[in-house]
Amino acid sequence: MFWSQLDRVMGYYPVLLKGITTTVSLSLIALLIGVAVGFAFGIMRAGRNRPLSYLVGLYIDFFRGTPFLVQLFIIFFILPAIGIELNAFTAGVVALSNMAACFIGEIVAAGIAAVPTGQTEAAAASGLTKAQQLRHVVLPQAVRIVTPSLVGQFVLLIKDSSVVSAIGLLDLTRSGWVIVQSVPNGLLVFAIIALGYFVICYPLIWLSRRMEDRGQAAIL
Amino acid sequence: MIKYSGVNKWFGTLHVLIDIDLEVATGEVVVVCGPSGSGKSTLIRCVNGLEPFQKGSLVVDGVSLGKDDAKLRHLRMEVGFVFQSFNLYPHKTALENATLAPVHVRKLPVAEARARGIAMLEKVGLGDKINSYPHQLSGGQQQRVAIARSLCMQPKIMLFDEPTSALDPEMINEVLDVMVALAREGMTMMVVTHEMGFARKVADRVIFMDHGAIVETAEPETFFTAAKNERTREFLGKVLQH
Repeated sequence: MFWSQLDRVMGYYPVLLKGITTTVSLSLIALLIGVAVGFAFGIMRAGRNRPLSYLVGLYIDFFRGTPFLVQLFIIFFILPAIGIELNAFTAGVVALSNMAACFIGEIVAAGIAAVPTGQTEAAAASGLTKAQQLRHVVLPQAVRIVTPSLVGQFVLLIKDSSVVSAIGLLDLTRSGWVIVQSVPNGLLVFAIIALGYFVICYPLIWLSRRMEDRGQAAIL
Repeated sequence: MIKYSGVNKWFGTLHVLIDIDLEVATGEVVVVCGPSGSGKSTLIRCVNGLEPFQKGSLVVDGVSLGKDDAKLRHLRMEVGFVFQSFNLYPHKTALENATLAPVHVRKLPVAEARARGIAMLEKVGLGDKINSYPHQLSGGQQQRVAIARSLCMQPKIMLFDEPTSALDPEMINEVLDVMVALAREGMTMMVVTHEMGFARKVADRVIFMDHGAIVETAEPETFFTAAKNERTREFLGKVLQH
């Protein structure tokens, strides 16, 4: 019984493969955009332009304070109503990148704030411009401080990407739904799906922990 | 070279600099001392614009401070600043610390900046530490790297804000020796310090500050033996006892 069902699930490997490809590519694109936009958010949030910092803060808090599923629905269902047509994949990328950017922005802002003021004073005193201070002195140190948290955030991003199955995107989670229609063993199917996520996430979890351990040693 | 005229500064309602009038000539070494909270650090931090002030004027190397930012950056190239807490860049080696500003601010070719960086680190006795990171160096060595970093910009003025206060006693002299050598080369210096031995050796003038005002200005000999002000004598009694 079990083995024949497992055999049938494995027979659906093209669907599984399609699902895992979507999950990985969606997460990866959202990760790249999220990091780029997130750093920009973090720099503005930690910057000395008060109104800009406040606005970015409000934006970040809005998306941190609303469910991702609702954000996804807004982007997928409401944007077309105002004339912006998006296919499911693009909508997924936009929603996921946006959420990643908000979380990463908050982490990066905290990292920048954690760099001692003496560092910017020393850099300013030697004549570096604000941009040069950021690029050569503040950001390299902030990146070191936040890298373990960022990697941890990437894990959350991959897991949160499963929500996009709600708008019909055939990601890893939805491929489970597809398979379970013909193989009526939800436990088995979703155990395999869970294993798929774990295989993608575990290296990142391991990496994050390793960097945290080493980071603490390096601070001393 | 440096001219304060009626400089006043407030932190909120706290009056931290009161009617400062002071002139420092080219090549002069001025030591600033006084109890903590007397405004001595603030006094020298105004010179390179790390602290803004609200009233009066301060002209450094022909540039009037507080007017425009482009000139301030230009001025900072000519004014080295050494901090109590070193503030070396922890992610850069001693040599990279020294060459960052010459390369990106002075736009020196990298090879030339490196050569200058090595020369300056050798000058402060750290020729063998050019590739060390700050955390691999002792406090005294870090402060000497910080001095070399400032010198790499070939400044006209050097400001020192309690450069030996964060150091263990046995490391103080290695830093002071570098500063004495610099003073003897004719560098214009303002030094906030309680190292009275240094003041005696190289200062042209010693300034005593209390509660934001300059209370006494004198040549070292007069300052130490015949201070006019009661508060100065009281302060000297405390720092010279040990």
